[in-house]
Amino acid sequence: MKTHESTVDQFDAEALKELRPENQLGKTALVLAAVCIAAWFSNIVNGSPLLDALPGMLILYVMVIIGLVVGRFCPFYLPSVAWVSLISIIATLPFFPGNGWIIARLAEVDFLAVVTPVLAYAGLALTGREFAMFKQTGWKLVIVALLVFTGTFIGSAVVAHVML
Amino acid sequence: MDLKLLLDWRLHLTVIVTSMFAEWVGIVRIPLGPGTLLLLPLLYAFIIGVLFNPHLFSAMGKVIPKPVSNAAGPIILIAILPFIAKFGSTIGPAIEQIIAAGPALILQELGNLGTMLIALPFAVLVLKMGREAIGATYSIAREPNIAIISDRYGLRSPEGIGIMGVYVVGTMFGTLYFALMAGYIASLDILDIRALAMACGVGSGSMVAACSAALAEAVPASKDELLAFAGASNLLTYATGLYISLFIALPVTEWMYKRLNGSRQEISHENS
Repeated sequence: MKTHESTVDQFDAEALKELRPENQLGKTALVLAAVCIAAWFSNIVNGSPLLDALPGMLILYVMVIIGLVVGRFCPFYLPSVAWVSLISIIATLPFFPGNGWIIARLAEVDFLAVVTPVLAYAGLALTGREFAMFKQTGWKLVIVALLVFTGTFIGSAVVAHVML
Repeated sequence: MDLKLLLDWRLHLTVIVTSMFAEWVGIVRIPLGPGTLLLLPLLYAFIIGVLFNPHLFSAMGKVIPKPVSNAAGPIILIAILPFIAKFGSTIGPAIEQIIAAGPALILQELGNLGTMLIALPFAVLVLKMGREAIGATYSIAREPNIAIISDRYGLRSPEGIGIMGVYVVGTMFGTLYFALMAGYIASLDILDIRALAMACGVGSGSMVAACSAALAEAVPASKDELLAFAGASNLLTYATGLYISLFIALPVTEWMYKRLNGSRQEISHENS
């Protein structure tokens, strides 16, 4: 029982620290460059050649940085994901200056190709802690979790379907 | 986390090679009953990542040492951000359609309550779970939901163990499960594909990504529209989802748990 408690404690502290990439902007900017390069290469196969995709990747990089900076200095808390999303929405709205150019450059970057490296990092990042916790919580929670995902998805889809 | 570890070239090179290989394999379609399962490159990338994981296969420590693998954890949160930016850029151009679908988008958050309607009775009545069922089933168990449970019960409580279990399952398999389920349900052609896209917005960044990518592959003609709806829904989840789980979902789950637990005890009394 004791080992179990410490696993949870560890998670608690680490999760809270890791949840705010905007708190260490310099470090994040460098890591972000590395992950953008990974996405840039991943994009070659089903997206565009390196040079064609370069402006698009740079635009994504700049959008993320702006989002993080806004998140860092904003007086209330929103997750950085929300800020980055907002920045990118605003920059592609019909009235935003140069939105047509931005959209055309971003079209060179394949949607799926950007997320493939994320999952590769995720597979590499699973720790002994997660494998151990997974064994501990057991098959019951796996079944419940899959029911939770299915229930949430179908519940939302049915409500949206009726409303449309 | 040490910057040297975060920028370790072995880690990023492994990811680049893995991703390029996964992209090269491409999308595989498997007919299954009335629908089709879609296998996306992100699925292969995850599996290859796990195969290279030194915590599971210690021989892999030569390629990716354990500390480097640990550094990949915080990197995920950053790696998802360019994708989120790409995602947002599908919302801007489609803003008029999204505003037109506004009420559906906002109210589908209530559909998240569907979670407990299926999962909670099953957990309590079939699997005979205790209070951990509350934490496990009141939400989709992403970070904001963990914050609520940790605030209310503490993470070492049964409720905390429940939500952490679902969180871990979600981290390990959520993305893959969402991709498979969404693609499959879309291929059944029962619900409006835009409604499915909105339902994709409930999870973490990678779940939304996998889910909406699967839909976009199922119906390539409306790709842009689907991505826009999923993205908008995910954004609204941040705005409203937290309050719905705190003020509606958690109290309702508590109430349902008491009812279900009561009926379970009555049944066992009758039996004994």
